[in-house]
Amino acid sequence: MTLVKIDKKNWAEGLKAAADAYRLYGPVKGKDYHQFKALEKGETPEFDMVNTRLSPKALLFPQSEEMLEYSLDESREDHHIMKAVARDNTPRAVIGIRPCDAKSTLLVKLNFDTPEVKDPYWLGAYQNTTFIGMACDAPLSTCFCTTAGCGPYHEEGLDMLVMDRGDAYLAKILTDKGKAFADAAGWKAAADDQAAFESGKAAAEARMVSSIKTDNLADTDLLELHGAPFWDDIAFACLNCGTCTFSCPTCWCFDIQDEVHGKAGVRMKNWDSCMFPIFTVHTTGHNPRDTKTQRVRQRFMHKLKYFVDKYEAGIMCVGCGRCVRQCPVNIDIRRVSELMNSFKPADACAVQG
Amino acid sequence: MVGYTEKIKEIASRLLKECTVDMVIGFRKGTMPMMNEPCFATTPEAIDTLVWDSNCGINLANYLTNRKEKVAVIAKGCDSRNIVTHIIENKIKRDQVYIVGVPCTGMIDKRKITGMVAGEILGVSETENTIKVQTADAETLFDKAEVLQQNCALCIHRNPVIHDEMVADAVQEQTDVDRYADIRKIEEMDSEDKWRFFDDLLSPCIRCYACRNACPLCYCPTCFVDEAKPQWVGKGQDPVDVRTFHFLRAYHCAGRCTDCGACERACPVGINMRLLTRKLEKDCQEQFGWEAGLSLDQRPALDVYQANDPGAFIK
Amino acid sequence: MELMGIEPDRLHFSWISSAESTKFVKVVKEVTEKVKAIGPNNHFIKDTAKVA
Repeated sequence: MTLVKIDKKNWAEGLKAAADAYRLYGPVKGKDYHQFKALEKGETPEFDMVNTRLSPKALLFPQSEEMLEYSLDESREDHHIMKAVARDNTPRAVIGIRPCDAKSTLLVKLNFDTPEVKDPYWLGAYQNTTFIGMACDAPLSTCFCTTAGCGPYHEEGLDMLVMDRGDAYLAKILTDKGKAFADAAGWKAAADDQAAFESGKAAAEARMVSSIKTDNLADTDLLELHGAPFWDDIAFACLNCGTCTFSCPTCWCFDIQDEVHGKAGVRMKNWDSCMFPIFTVHTTGHNPRDTKTQRVRQRFMHKLKYFVDKYEAGIMCVGCGRCVRQCPVNIDIRRVSELMNSFKPADACAVQG
Repeated sequence: MVGYTEKIKEIASRLLKECTVDMVIGFRKGTMPMMNEPCFATTPEAIDTLVWDSNCGINLANYLTNRKEKVAVIAKGCDSRNIVTHIIENKIKRDQVYIVGVPCTGMIDKRKITGMVAGEILGVSETENTIKVQTADAETLFDKAEVLQQNCALCIHRNPVIHDEMVADAVQEQTDVDRYADIRKIEEMDSEDKWRFFDDLLSPCIRCYACRNACPLCYCPTCFVDEAKPQWVGKGQDPVDVRTFHFLRAYHCAGRCTDCGACERACPVGINMRLLTRKLEKDCQEQFGWEAGLSLDQRPALDVYQANDPGAFIK
Repeated sequence: MELMGIEPDRLHFSWISSAESTKFVKVVKEVTEKVKAIGPNNHFIKDTAKVA
């Protein structure tokens, strides 16, 4: 691990130099909120924001992505063959990703990169990407990362962590990928200020006002929790829109669609959401998750119980608070986790569920 | 609307005690500033959580669709018009719903307010005419009138049109409101500009369908965008598919929309899709003299034929 | 449709009885002339799905 100091005067220049070797992405203000997108030549990421409205998961897992394509045009040599869509595999770097969002890539990786199955689309994008994190000195009132397995200076999932020191950035190089990026950007001025990170971290953590408790989740009986009496109350307001799942950095569900255009066609994957009734409809027409309560329960049980049990890697949530802020009817995962974590099966009515 | 909360609790408590209804649908205080959560109350503890303030913008008529129980619902002017529409469209029976009418002075626009202050908003409090917004560094006082949701600023039916009981005396209706200035501006554009305008308007859409699902009118068992046999619309992010969803949804609401603003309020990316629904509202008004949800005795404009229906467009 | 940017002359409504053959011819002529005058449609065409 090395520390480098980046004078703010050299920041834009360094990014410009790195842009020769990397496609750069970063938070940029759109119409009225920030979002991650490809940076134009000379464009720098903007850090003057509360947070991006949507998570950067689309960089690895686009909302809509072509997987395979074919053509029936017999004048083409490869007609009638379904083949992978050509992809840009050149290196890219995400500048200014928050530590919580970086941690989320590792949770999503558990799904897309298993010993048995590897998703070439997600994994391809992941492997080509260098994650340059920006430490978070101004957590929001809805942030609860420190109790969701990460924190404002968390390093997991990052190749480099940058902190703002006023007139300069201080960067901690965490991996070889991070080192390669620093070299490409020409950021070489060695620094020896580990203490700055420690104090920055402590100060940021002290600013956190939200927290959740998750200590009882693993030990609570799954079926008892499934049958707990509070689900109807939690689910009542839910509209079954996809706002929470689409803004969530850890939600990974998708749907596969074929689209035909004349003699050619593509197979694409699109974000899907467990909130949508059609998510689980069988071809018979039967829907095993037919009611709103069942769908809402699924979302929270997946994040806070099934995932916990299956992977033993904590909860499937990094505490970014986006679902809390965006939900049109104010369903709050902090409240739900409190209910779930404090649930005592003995209190429950035996016939529920 | 200050003071409504206590009255609502009192009414809810009486209705449940006297078994007039099985549940009361209202709002409870949200966990964030400018957010309240729709909820149901069947117990004294739940009644105690009910609130009313300028953050009750979600349309509670949406929670009545196909209900079996006897319910009481807290209804603003717009909600009451959607309840009328629900009754006309057989989504709920009149004698099954007890309407607790709320004379409304408008809901505040959380996005507008967020854009008007610097930094995260940590608290919002209100009086009858003012809204006080607190951030870490400052406290800002707004006239409520300047931070209303646009649909509330343009509202001409603040008092419930149908009710079994009122929470307070009727408020004064707004008159001399020009409801369609922004629509006329679009109408004056040439076709190319119009196309570009809507391309730009809809470009942030992520197809989460919060607008559709927040809308009391959108109760189809399977929405046309979710149909698979046949599939009417592509499911990706192609702008043609996104636009198809938005304008067809607006058509489905023609002559039914009360401009309650729930769609726009629910949208996580801040799209004003009311520009589509209000154009149709304007047409219904101009061509049929029709406003949705004002009376249980009148069939909707697009539901009936009348000899004087405008026909100039048919050659 | 017009509000959204589809040119007014691209969409026509007419009521023609099966007995009104001359009206049918007249209307079809008028429609084709008007549509030709505004030229090919550039909007609401989906070739290959755009992804994002």
